[in-house]
Amino acid sequence: MRNLLDFLLRYSHCFLFVILEVVCFVLLFRFNNYQGSVYFSSANWLCGTVYEISSSITGYFHLKTVNDALTDRNLDLEREVSSLRAVVAELTRDSSAVDSLQQAALGDFWRIKAHVVNNTLDRADNFITIDKGRSDSVQAEMGVVCGNGVVGIVGKTTSHHALVISLLNSKSNISCKIKSSGYFGYLRWDGTDVRYTYLHDVPRHAECQKGDTIVTSGYSSIFPEGIMVGVVEDIEDSHDGLSYLLKVRLSTDFGRLDDVRVIAREGMEEIEELTKEYRK
Amino acid sequence: MNVSYWKRGLWLLALVLVQVLVLNQIHIGGYATPFAYVYFMLVLNRDVKRNVLLLLGFFVGLVIDVFSNTPGMHAAATTLLAFVRPWLLTLFVPRDSVDDWEPGIRSMGFGSFLGYAAMAVFLHHAVLLLLDTFSFFSWTLLLLKVVCSTALTTFCVMMMESVRRK
Repeated sequence: MRNLLDFLLRYSHCFLFVILEVVCFVLLFRFNNYQGSVYFSSANWLCGTVYEISSSITGYFHLKTVNDALTDRNLDLEREVSSLRAVVAELTRDSSAVDSLQQAALGDFWRIKAHVVNNTLDRADNFITIDKGRSDSVQAEMGVVCGNGVVGIVGKTTSHHALVISLLNSKSNISCKIKSSGYFGYLRWDGTDVRYTYLHDVPRHAECQKGDTIVTSGYSSIFPEGIMVGVVEDIEDSHDGLSYLLKVRLSTDFGRLDDVRVIAREGMEEIEELTKEYRK
Repeated sequence: MNVSYWKRGLWLLALVLVQVLVLNQIHIGGYATPFAYVYFMLVLNRDVKRNVLLLLGFFVGLVIDVFSNTPGMHAAATTLLAFVRPWLLTLFVPRDSVDDWEPGIRSMGFGSFLGYAAMAVFLHHAVLLLLDTFSFFSWTLLLLKVVCSTALTTFCVMMMESVRRK
């Protein structure tokens, strides 16, 4: 015991050094965005590869059961579609209604996976950089979403990267509506708290309460209808008193953005062109 | 004894202020920034206990960090400098000199002090700038930055030392 104490005392400066450096590094990773993100993303990369390898191996064992289940499901859906088609045809007595239904299904937006490379929160006009660009067919004016909700709109692209105008940007301007009642307004950030944004120009006769869900309206050509934006936190009068100003708690946590999807609409236009040609 | 503590305190205050208000804004060619507050750590008495030296290094670095918005970076580099300082000193000074002894041009001679200062500053800056860039991706640029900043800081340190000794 005494030897141990002697040892500890004799080399106390070494221990102190290690402790202080650990404190420094904790500070470094905790309070510096860049260093923290490098550390955590490389750690994630390791975890990611390990999980990817293990899932690519274990995935094979389930293929047979998955295949069976899919075939069953496919049959069910096939039957459902044919019966629904019959019902629609009977109700409308018009074959073009079936066509338009099909077109709506085809008109689904397709998605491009992307990673966030750089993200700012502390400016009045925040931008996000993602790792997909023109060569991945990302173009300006495409919408960007993540698992929790809307992120922003692509502003500029280079061949391998794209600059996204985040919702937290005074120039961002997205048409949104209250999900339950359908009244709409436009979303704009006031530049203060990164957790909240404001829905402007909601008419005074609109029914809304705290806790209502706000989704994209689909009126703009960028986002499809019904993508989650956030939840009404507070209802205020607008500055001119003519409309409501809804304070919206964003469902996207911009401080922890990583995986995002670019919503491409270009494909839809192509599909529409094709169907038009086919109809001629 | 007390007087010398006060004197050191004032020096530290002045160095931190100069560093934070003036020197942090200097980026010569985007490469060289002088970090002259290191001077305080270089010329502390040799009989200062190692633990005290480490704590001093840590807190001096932390103060600079707080002002330049880089928590942990300067603190880590300066703590490391405080840790290796005793060995650095033995490289340039015979062991059997008196205890209460202060590194400087007068006590060590110009050449020795220059070597000691340059080596310590290089070490400090290497760690600091490595933590700042936090990758070896462009290590030639990193090296260039370290060398340029070291030259500039060493120059500042030698200036201050020669002015103070007069």
